[in-house]
Amino acid sequence: MSHSPASPDTASTTPGIWGNSDLLLGLFLCAVSGIALFAIRKLSFGTLTDMGAGFMPRVLAIGLLGFGVYFLALAAFKRATESIGPVELRPLFGVALAVGVFALTAGRFGLVIGSILTILVAGAASKESRWRELIIFSVAMSAGAVALFVKGLALPVPVWPW
Amino acid sequence: MELFDNLLLGLSTALQWNNLLYCLFGVLVGTAIGVLPGIGPIPTVALLLPFTFGMDPSSAFIMLAGIFYGAQYGGSTTAILVNVPGETSSVVTCLDGHQMAQKGQAGLALAIAAISSFFAGTVATLVIAMLAAPLASLALKFTAVEYFSLLVLGLIAAVVLAHGSVVRALAMVVLGLLMGAVGIDVSSGISRMTFGMPELGDGLDFVPIAMGLFGLGEIIASLSRPQGRPVVVAQGWRNLMPTFAQLREAFPAMLRGTTIGSLLGVLPGGGAALPPFTAYALEKKLAKDPSRFGKGAIEGVAGPEAANNAGAQTSFIPLLTLGIPANALMALMVGALMMHGIQPGPQIMTEQPVLVWGVIASMWVGNLMLLVINLPLIGIWVRMLKIPYRLMFPSIVLFCCIGTYGIANNMFNVWLMLGFAVVGYFFIKVGVEAAPLLLGLVLGPQLEENFRRAMLLSDGDFSVFVRSPISAVILAVVFVLLLAMLSPAVLRKRDEAFVE
Repeated sequence: MSHSPASPDTASTTPGIWGNSDLLLGLFLCAVSGIALFAIRKLSFGTLTDMGAGFMPRVLAIGLLGFGVYFLALAAFKRATESIGPVELRPLFGVALAVGVFALTAGRFGLVIGSILTILVAGAASKESRWRELIIFSVAMSAGAVALFVKGLALPVPVWPW
Repeated sequence: MELFDNLLLGLSTALQWNNLLYCLFGVLVGTAIGVLPGIGPIPTVALLLPFTFGMDPSSAFIMLAGIFYGAQYGGSTTAILVNVPGETSSVVTCLDGHQMAQKGQAGLALAIAAISSFFAGTVATLVIAMLAAPLASLALKFTAVEYFSLLVLGLIAAVVLAHGSVVRALAMVVLGLLMGAVGIDVSSGISRMTFGMPELGDGLDFVPIAMGLFGLGEIIASLSRPQGRPVVVAQGWRNLMPTFAQLREAFPAMLRGTTIGSLLGVLPGGGAALPPFTAYALEKKLAKDPSRFGKGAIEGVAGPEAANNAGAQTSFIPLLTLGIPANALMALMVGALMMHGIQPGPQIMTEQPVLVWGVIASMWVGNLMLLVINLPLIGIWVRMLKIPYRLMFPSIVLFCCIGTYGIANNMFNVWLMLGFAVVGYFFIKVGVEAAPLLLGLVLGPQLEENFRRAMLLSDGDFSVFVRSPISAVILAVVFVLLLAMLSPAVLRKRDEAFVE
């Protein structure tokens, strides 16, 4: 199961407005397109023969806006919409936080401490984690990561805080 | 015989002792991640990419390719023993493979899967070798015009073969292309959409994006589902040798599976996921007694297993001959080539014969290794399957972090991966596939460059794309594909094919 087929996890019949997948996707695409159009507003468009730096991004961003509007229209007019199902915040925040903790600590305090903290925070993402097991496991993984990446693959990252 | 010269050149590369070791390492890692349901070949290849910088490009490629086809072998082991597909491509193997295991024939099912995969791998290697030279000579006639059309075909075909809504997949391609435009514009030197961040000057790195979307996003989604402990079928997997009669029963299915896999794999947008479904449907249709399927029919294992392995390998053809990735994993491979300073494109075969033929020959060597090593190692894979997911996923998170840091030895990419982990979960929730996005991201810069060059040469005249005969044919195919895909009748058929 490397990548599950793109069907929402659960499909209920009467979703609230914020559970409508067409609406969410449409908003997302419009937002990305808006940010892109803003970022490239000063770049020259040029002509077909001599395209400016802004030509392709602008064409693509406007195309993306078109898709965004299409999905918004679907959300507005289509009767049967697919719900995105319940959003579990614990796994989302747990995994995101673990990556953030790695980014903040591994460079400053070294890979040993960074790895232990990352594993512990990631473990918090699952209801099934057992703390004593996880602490022992994090120390073992930290040692393993140093052996594999620093000693084995010569990754230039500090190992200890000092 | 040019074919034999080329294969010999390839074998002389693939059989160097260090390349043999890299190949072995690749297929072992591939099998391991194939066996483990929580992690697929895309994040694994992304993870190992940064560590191949110091290696010879052929060695790096031999190893990374081994991960991909090794994963197809491993995926079926889990499908048979646990009834959980280790990879998407082994979903069908669950149906009859696990039934065989429950009847005490686990060893037979594993052996048939391995033998079918090896047979398919051998044939697919020959198919690649035979198709490579003519395709490459055709590719030599390509200018920016034809190459642009070919890139468009690659992107559209990827959409057609994606699951789910075609419009959603098209939107993802455009999003990927737009993201590909981030960074300093090659022809004007102006930075685009970098938001003042110097790290974005070289563009968005695809490794953190692939790891975020395919690795971490998937973890978040699977943690949201209830976790069951995997139940491994404990008996019968030690008895591995099939009888002659059983082999004879499986052989026609193997042959048909290999044919289907080889054909579907070559198509842009092809790969390992679609062929097994098609092969299974065909076997069921041809069988004298279709009711045996789903209850442990040996053909139901042999056909799909041969098909997914053949498809995994022939999906390298568009990449190795034309420089066009057929699926998200091949897009990573394109990125790997560029990181090693090799420009993917139609000229790749003439400029990098050692690399291309070395990889092709290594596939056969790797398949042989998989057949010989894997069956005796089955005990280890079974033990590995018993590692609980609650310990596996924190390790994957950690490895993704360290690997992403390793690309440029800075934390910027780790933050980028964090963002795309959230986006990846969002995509799974709203039901869009991320693979077309990755293709767009990797192909975006080439698409823009070739479009610009074509327009410059033709003085802004669009008709140049239809005046060149090769380009016209390619664009006609794109047009037919799009038309067919948007017609409701074909859509329904396609959904049925994926459901089956």
